[in-house]
Amino acid sequence: MTKPALLQASLLSLAAVLAFNGPAAAEPAKTLRILTAGGEWTDAVTKCVDGPFEKKYGIKVELDTPAGYAKLAGLAQSGNVNVALMDLETSELERANANGLLDNIDWDKVKPFEMFPDAKKPYGFASTYFSTIMAWRPDAKAPSNWVEFFDTKNFPGKRALPDYPGYVLAFAAIADGVDPTKVFPLDLDRAFKTLERVKGDVIWWTAGGQSAQLLQDNEAQYSIGWSGRIVTKTDLKHSFNQGMLDTSWWGMPKGADPAMQEAALLYLHEYSDPKQQACIAQYISYTGPSPELDPLLPQDKLDQFPNFKKNRDVQYVTDGKWWYDNAAEVEKRWQEFKLAQ
Amino acid sequence: MSAAVVHSPSWWRGRLATSLLLVLPLALVIGLAFDLPLLMTALWSITDFKSGSLTPEYYQDFFGRPIYLSVVWRTLEIAFAVSCCCALIGYPLSYWMTTLSPRGQKISLIIIVMSFWVSVLVRTYAWIVILGNAGLVNRALHYLGLADRPVQFLYGELGVCIGMVNVLLPFLLLPLYAAMLQIDPRLRQIALTMGATSGQFFWRVFFPLTLPALSATFVLVFILSLGFYITPAILGGGKVPMIANMLDMLINQFPHWSLAAAMSCVMLVLTLGLFALYQSLRGKVAA
Repeated sequence: MTKPALLQASLLSLAAVLAFNGPAAAEPAKTLRILTAGGEWTDAVTKCVDGPFEKKYGIKVELDTPAGYAKLAGLAQSGNVNVALMDLETSELERANANGLLDNIDWDKVKPFEMFPDAKKPYGFASTYFSTIMAWRPDAKAPSNWVEFFDTKNFPGKRALPDYPGYVLAFAAIADGVDPTKVFPLDLDRAFKTLERVKGDVIWWTAGGQSAQLLQDNEAQYSIGWSGRIVTKTDLKHSFNQGMLDTSWWGMPKGADPAMQEAALLYLHEYSDPKQQACIAQYISYTGPSPELDPLLPQDKLDQFPNFKKNRDVQYVTDGKWWYDNAAEVEKRWQEFKLAQ
Repeated sequence: MSAAVVHSPSWWRGRLATSLLLVLPLALVIGLAFDLPLLMTALWSITDFKSGSLTPEYYQDFFGRPIYLSVVWRTLEIAFAVSCCCALIGYPLSYWMTTLSPRGQKISLIIIVMSFWVSVLVRTYAWIVILGNAGLVNRALHYLGLADRPVQFLYGELGVCIGMVNVLLPFLLLPLYAAMLQIDPRLRQIALTMGATSGQFFWRVFFPLTLPALSATFVLVFILSLGFYITPAILGGGKVPMIANMLDMLINQFPHWSLAAAMSCVMLVLTLGLFALYQSLRGKVAA
């Protein structure tokens, strides 16, 4: 056994002995470390959830960015898992769970407020509904669907696309003529055919804020971006049509300090409160997993939210399981495509 | 010359022991913090991720798939282009600096060194403000009526090269300037009195004398360009993958650490070879 693993094993057994000996459960730690994506969403969560949480329980919240599956794999491999809660995309959550990197969430301890049924997994807590949608400059010709969006002849201009296969391949496939209601299982050939055709006119962005910034700087005339970054920009136009509805998840990495995990369960309870989610929605237009959220949202801005009925009806939901099952194939083809630029 | 003092062998052994003792703390720190992780990375590159047995498959993967080698080749091409640009801009600039008054030389040195004080990241982002479609250069061109549509400088190889030249020019300029100062100014007078023109003096005397320094700094800039990450990442728009960006994809996006370790080792060997070349060229400069 490696030294860190031995240390952890002895700590865990000590904790188990202590827990077994008395009626009192493990004390929550004084500090809760969370690995999160960063950006405007994390700022909103810090204001709305972390602050009240610290005041209520006296537990300090420490954030670390960025998140990502690779970072979790790195922590696990080094044997030093120092975070109790982590922000994961749907495919990352499935992959982490399949590789045994996550602990199950003790829902009895979380005692959450009411949540949508598909927002509760044994190993995941849905934190945010967000959409990936199309946006464009007001002086560019307005596209109404993905076929038009990727039509560089009739809709001239540069496109700013996410440098992440999961957020662009499905749209590229639809642009080649795939039926939007039957997107998954995804036809990678047709997706890459579209991307090969337009690649001369593409700028690839890596940070969420760039999707709007590149449009505002007139570097690109069309863009695909996450809804929270786009809908509040009044100088840009956008459409939820054929957008992709997706969820972000909180997961609990395996091997974290059990006391910190107790703190994490308390944090999840606070997060499930619709009042906190409404507060977050004020700063960035993403909704949380509470079904009681709609009346608490700013009523004049309802059409900015991904889960709002009018928006939900024109979008499709991404298939996290497909992305996870086909990760190797997607990776290989994405590398071949990107590195041949 | 003073008379040489003769020391006994035991005196020398004492000196050696003291020197070794003084160097030991630094050697330990470098060994543990730098050499050991490097060896571990090399070990990762030949160890199967799951079973732990030794395997050459990652190196085979790297050399077998043309896509990886094409990125390496492209990096070499860009590094060469950037080094040539730095040499073309830096050499005349350095020569001009040697003709200045001592005060002028000090001022120009300060201006060049000041650019070091600004972080690479800030400078790279500043290029977006200058070269962007809504940036200073394009606005000036539009105002002067020279271009009716914005010229695309950024998010391609041109922008990356401009950003890299900006960062690497001082690395070529300063050693070259120092080498040029070493050349005896009387050589010019001698050549002129012997009937040579200024041009002949430059091409037949001055330039050959500075050639070793120029080639040494050229290799230095080349080595530095190979490892660039920030500039192609920000100014390339995802379309200029250099080796460091490729490693970023393999380490952070799809964790394939063993393959990334293999690539890193190949790059390390390549860079060490180039560095040996640099050292031999530098030796010729001192001579």
